[in-house]
Amino acid sequence: MSETALTPGTPEELAAGLGEAASRRQTITLGGRFSKNRMGGPVAASDVTVSTAGLTRVLTYEPRDLTISVEAGMPWIEFSRLLAANRQMVPLDPPFADLATVGGVLASNSSGPRRRLHGAARDVVIGMKFATLEGKLVQSGGMVVKNVAGLDMGKLLIGSFGTLAALAVVNFKLLPAPEVRRHFVLAFDTAEAAGAAVRAIRQSVLQPASLDLLNPPAAKRLGLDGYVVSVEAGGNPSVIERYERELKQIGPLTVAAIPLQEFTRNFLEEHAGGAVVRISATLSQAPEVVGRLTVPVVARAGSGVCYAHFAGAEAAAETVRGPWIAIMEFAPEALKATLDLWPSPGGDLELMRRIKRMLDPHHLLNRGRLYRHI
Amino acid sequence: MLSPEAKKKLAALLGPRGYLDRPEDLSLYEYDGSVDKARPEMVVFPRSTEDVVAIVKIAREHGVPLVGRGAGTGLSGGAIPRAGGITVGFARMNRILEIDLENERAVVQPGVVNLDITLAVQARNYFYAPDPSSQRACTIGGNVAENAGGPHTLAYGVTTNHVLGLEFVLPDGGLHNTGGKEGDLPGYDLTGLLTGSEGTLALVTKVIVRLMRQPEMVKTILAIYNAAEDCGRTVAEITARAITPVAVEMLDGVMLRMVEEATHAGFPMDAAAVLLIELEGLREAVEEQVEQIREVCQECRAREFRVARSAEERELLWKGRKNAFGAVGRVSPSYYVQDGVVPRTQIAPTLGVIGKVGEKYGLTISNIFHAGDGNLHPIILFDTHRPGDLEKAKNAGEEILRHCIDVGGSITGEHGVGMEKNELMDRLFSSDSLDMIRNFKLLFDPENRLNPGKVLPTGKGCLEIRQFALTGAAPIY
Ligand SMILES: Cc1cc2nc3c(=O)[nH]c(=O)nc-3n(C[C@H](O)[C@H](O)[C@H](O)COP(=O)(O)OP(=O)(O)OC[C@H]3O[C@@H](n4cnc5c(N)ncnc54)[C@H](O)[C@@H]3O)c2cc1C
Repeated sequence: MSETALTPGTPEELAAGLGEAASRRQTITLGGRFSKNRMGGPVAASDVTVSTAGLTRVLTYEPRDLTISVEAGMPWIEFSRLLAANRQMVPLDPPFADLATVGGVLASNSSGPRRRLHGAARDVVIGMKFATLEGKLVQSGGMVVKNVAGLDMGKLLIGSFGTLAALAVVNFKLLPAPEVRRHFVLAFDTAEAAGAAVRAIRQSVLQPASLDLLNPPAAKRLGLDGYVVSVEAGGNPSVIERYERELKQIGPLTVAAIPLQEFTRNFLEEHAGGAVVRISATLSQAPEVVGRLTVPVVARAGSGVCYAHFAGAEAAAETVRGPWIAIMEFAPEALKATLDLWPSPGGDLELMRRIKRMLDPHHLLNRGRLYRHI
Repeated sequence: MLSPEAKKKLAALLGPRGYLDRPEDLSLYEYDGSVDKARPEMVVFPRSTEDVVAIVKIAREHGVPLVGRGAGTGLSGGAIPRAGGITVGFARMNRILEIDLENERAVVQPGVVNLDITLAVQARNYFYAPDPSSQRACTIGGNVAENAGGPHTLAYGVTTNHVLGLEFVLPDGGLHNTGGKEGDLPGYDLTGLLTGSEGTLALVTKVIVRLMRQPEMVKTILAIYNAAEDCGRTVAEITARAITPVAVEMLDGVMLRMVEEATHAGFPMDAAAVLLIELEGLREAVEEQVEQIREVCQECRAREFRVARSAEERELLWKGRKNAFGAVGRVSPSYYVQDGVVPRTQIAPTLGVIGKVGEKYGLTISNIFHAGDGNLHPIILFDTHRPGDLEKAKNAGEEILRHCIDVGGSITGEHGVGMEKNELMDRLFSSDSLDMIRNFKLLFDPENRLNPGKVLPTGKGCLEIRQFALTGAAPIY
């Protein structure tokens, strides 16, 4: 990628490294463990590569406060294990969980099935420190769950693909892990029936942690037939029994559980030339997306985000153009430079560019990583 | 100064009922729910986004400062026009534009009163989750600006977790949209940046919010204590046992007596403190958790444990809680509400510190707070007619907030920094962090005309230069 590689060991070193490179007008590739190079815009050639993988400390963890502060390079899997040992969680369920760092999960705004109930990264982060190209460490938020002091600048870094600054420290609010977690899988013959089931669950008093909808090509990859609805519930045993009773009324329960967290990653590992389009649908559009596309689609039917998996980038390029709001979230690295990854950005792109220019006036940091528009 | 010419343009734009400029009318707009004051030169009431754009353009042309205003219930001076100029009141932009239950969304104008959203959807089993105690009066625009919370944010999150998109006008008159009804739109989260920006970056003209399905069961518990420490221990123990109430509110004895006298909600007059705990969810979960909490309360020496038996009983308890500040107003001529936050394990020791601060200044400090998330509202009672009292109250408040900072907390959990706590910001944030906030301010508002003099320290003594940079033309103070 580049001549020089830096792996700073402290947030201060990270800031200094960025500041120094920027003062020399060197272009910078920023990442954690670079597990998601197929995600986002192309990783451009650069003068310096900066990795936050050396920042792995837990800075503060008092389980009784239900908060934690960790450095951005901490492997996600270690982070989850630490919390699990205290029966706590940050239920983002990101893909590439065993390779990713905490910072990478945030920078790519990765999330998974349980976001229906617990939200995405923007909902679980309570504070952060980031290193700027001026070589400074900036704090946003703090270590308490309610805090409105200062601007919530941290929100901008979530999903920014490292184009604004480098995440150095992240503070999360924590949840107690539920006593029991159970999955329920329902299968339907038609998209309409599956869509109706999703709707019935959403409108019921059940509050499942996850609510996913798969079309037959996606279901097939997991050895199932038809349109599949996957639900995860958490709670005490009588709550779980209640879910079972009510879900049975909604549709026939099939297998015990299907592995969804790494669905996309597994697909990409099988398809070297594959591409994944992320569709930002409304809740009511999600079943429609699932019904209309003929490639494997996993819809987070409780939040509207749909992932359509293509064996080749050409077909993906067509779907990303519409009718839904979409980006090509994963694409073959070799093709990225020529693909239109984000064909119809909103009118707010210009404001985003102003923010980019403010933080990176010489356009040095992760050039093009935000789907080639920033 | 607002020139006669600018005034004339605004008057022509809005018509005779669309603005106020007589001193006796303007004096109603010189304060909010906090203790500071400053008078606007004109108050305008746009009816549409187009009106707002036109107003902002006139202000720009004439170089006049602007401040947005919802219901004026803010508790940090957010809506006070510190540098004079135009106050933009959103009272007439109070329509719910769309209710889209299919997508669990509503689109509203900023002047919509918080509670009105829930009222509009509750018959169909939905609600809008952020529920500030002022929800009968405060507006969504004000909530977005302050990133308002409320008792139930313990479980459901604060305003920012429920706002998915915004339409807004920048100080240059540019109209923008960001976010939407859809999940995860690509790009930087501008909605997240603007929410909680205290009306200093943009005027919000439309808000897309999330609606939630009502839970099957709600149980409200009143636990009564003879010692405040036992109350604090209960909160810690609830967390330790992974019980997840949707609200845990604490009221101390002083507060209880004031509230009871005002509302007759059934709070005990002689207790040292009570907890108001709410559980929501599936019947099976709620019933079990009520018992778990009963156990904890008994172990922590609650002298009484009541579960509200009816919706009326429940509402009465909440009315007592939500009207608490009003109840204080009946007793004390003036009061000063703090909004510190501490890590949950610091709640009990912090109560001790607050008690000592009260003794030191000879002021009564009563406590009511969102105990579940460590957000304290010490209420300092004082009398403006007693010389030196306001000064003492402010100093006592500052001392409490310094303690919150020292134990790793924050100076504001939901009321905002405004013009009340901005001088403490440099205790909480490094100068590099404050500089970055300032950079964002100048990016959105290069002439510093939108709600100037808020959030960032205005600087004292040798730091006066900072304030100069912040206000553009001239220092305010
Ligand atoms: C009795 C009482 C109880 C309270 N309880 C709570 C509570 O539980 N939780 C809580 O969070 N707060 C609480 N508050 C504080 C206050 O109600 C909130 O901060 C509320 O969000 C303010 O709304 P408002 O409409 O009154 O805004 P205002 O006070 O009018 O304005 C607040 C800020 O919003 C800005 N603003 C208003 N409209 C717009 C707009 N359209 N565009 C841009 N900026 C705008 C103003 O410029 C100002 O900076 C309480 C206040 C009182 C008096």
